[in-house]
Amino acid sequence: MSALTKLTAVEAKLFVREPIAMFWGLAFPALLLLILGLFFPGGREPSPDLGGMRLVDLYAPIALGLALATLAFATLPAILSTYRERGILRRLATTPVSPRRLVTAQLIIQVVLAVLAAALAIAVGAIVFDIPIPQNLVGFILAFVLAAAAMLSLGLLIGAVAPTVSAGQGIGMAVYFPMLFFAGVYFPREVMPEGLRNISDMTPTGAAVQAFSDTWAGLAPSTSSLLVMAAFAIGAGLLAAAEFRWE
Amino acid sequence: MSVIEVENLVKRYDDVAVVDGLSFTVERGEIFGILGPNGAGKTTTVESIAGLRRPDGGRIEVLGLDPQEDAKEIKERLGVQLQESRLPDRIEVWEALDLYSSFYRSPAHWPDLLDQLGLAEKRDTKFAKLSGGQKQRLSIALALVGNPEVAILDELTTGLDPQARRDTWGLVEQLRDQGVTIVLVTHFMEEAERLADRVALIDSGKLVALDTPAGLVARADDEQRIRFRPSSPIEDSLLTELPEVTGVTRVGDTIVVTGVGNVLHAVTSVLARNQIIAEQLRVEQVTLDDAFVALTGRSLGTPDSN
Repeated sequence: MSALTKLTAVEAKLFVREPIAMFWGLAFPALLLLILGLFFPGGREPSPDLGGMRLVDLYAPIALGLALATLAFATLPAILSTYRERGILRRLATTPVSPRRLVTAQLIIQVVLAVLAAALAIAVGAIVFDIPIPQNLVGFILAFVLAAAAMLSLGLLIGAVAPTVSAGQGIGMAVYFPMLFFAGVYFPREVMPEGLRNISDMTPTGAAVQAFSDTWAGLAPSTSSLLVMAAFAIGAGLLAAAEFRWE
Repeated sequence: MSVIEVENLVKRYDDVAVVDGLSFTVERGEIFGILGPNGAGKTTTVESIAGLRRPDGGRIEVLGLDPQEDAKEIKERLGVQLQESRLPDRIEVWEALDLYSSFYRSPAHWPDLLDQLGLAEKRDTKFAKLSGGQKQRLSIALALVGNPEVAILDELTTGLDPQARRDTWGLVEQLRDQGVTIVLVTHFMEEAERLADRVALIDSGKLVALDTPAGLVARADDEQRIRFRPSSPIEDSLLTELPEVTGVTRVGDTIVVTGVGNVLHAVTSVLARNQIIAEQLRVEQVTLDDAFVALTGRSLGTPDSN
């Protein structure tokens, strides 16, 4: 077994031993859909305000954006800064295996979790609310890959430079909530005033939700949303690699 | 045959030379002590040897290789135990050993290491639930799991209770007997005296002295300290007029006499002549701490409470 495989297996084991983090990472998006559909008045009825869509239809892409944002900002930076503060990365640097591989193992875990969380949300939507799976499946997968890359890169950047666990958590959360806002979790992007909408389009989560909505409806994802996500993925990724502090 | 060569090592942080032209070699099979107060540059020095820090000047050679150029190869054969290194809270002892042993070409059989370090009972215990001593021993085990030829141990026994400390010393000697060359960083003088074949005294990033513990102690003028409680009052002059005596101080009702040569005989003779009994008589040899003070004018620092 290669060192990376072994590291990933151990990281997975450790993650499973933190049930609260697991819950939020995996179940939160599906839960959001359930609550909206079951407990919001009119959640399952087509609404003229929403162009004939139901609230749950509108929120399906947002729930996916939420899944990625939670992993990228509420989870990843805290894990990386914990490893830094505890000297785990430093200890690895004294072995033949580079601490980079531990970071890679963590990213693999986050990606797997993201896919699982998304699959769970889509399944719940389909089973409970008859929300169809994304019509433009290829486009949707492309959008999802880019969205994961964009948000995880940004989360990686935060985790790369935060000197302490508190900083990692603090900065992560400070980014997380605005990201949720611009994803449309609090109120949908469709009803945002133009200024806010434009800002939302430029955030990785806002762009992700746009791309998910487009492909869900069977359309091609908008070029601008793809570009925004790619820019974050590459920019944040490169910066994180350059600035990563191992201790 | 030298296993580590350090020549004029310089390392700066923000224009301060934390290591300032340090040179020494470590021979195969010895326990080499690096002793000095906190902030002397000891950890920076061994981190540079391990390849964790890039020197600003000088040359380092480990097993004939360069720690920056040949880092991966050196790390196969060099085990490092650094201070303040924790593990994830929920990892179990055996999982950590199993994981780390997978990093090396020819690792040790880690269940044996568990036994050797007295951690066999704690095999399935999570890291957060280990005692301070057990965490330290796990840290040592991880440094040894690669079957290293050379081991760097930084502040090995800080925070351990006296029994655990002595057990760890026994383990280090066992290691040396197995042929591992050991670099032992400590600010704890008794540890260096007990374990090291040679000791490098370091202060403010510079080498102050390099010798066997006995040799360093001998350099500090062969002074002895005699403590006792006189059974009846005694004048200082009775002792200070002895040629062997270099100083007399009083600590409460205890008298402390420092002197050289046959000072013990001289003191007991003069006491006997005056029919004074020396109660609770203790004789102390000069220690490495005294040698450090003699050579640098400063103390090693806050001694560990024993």
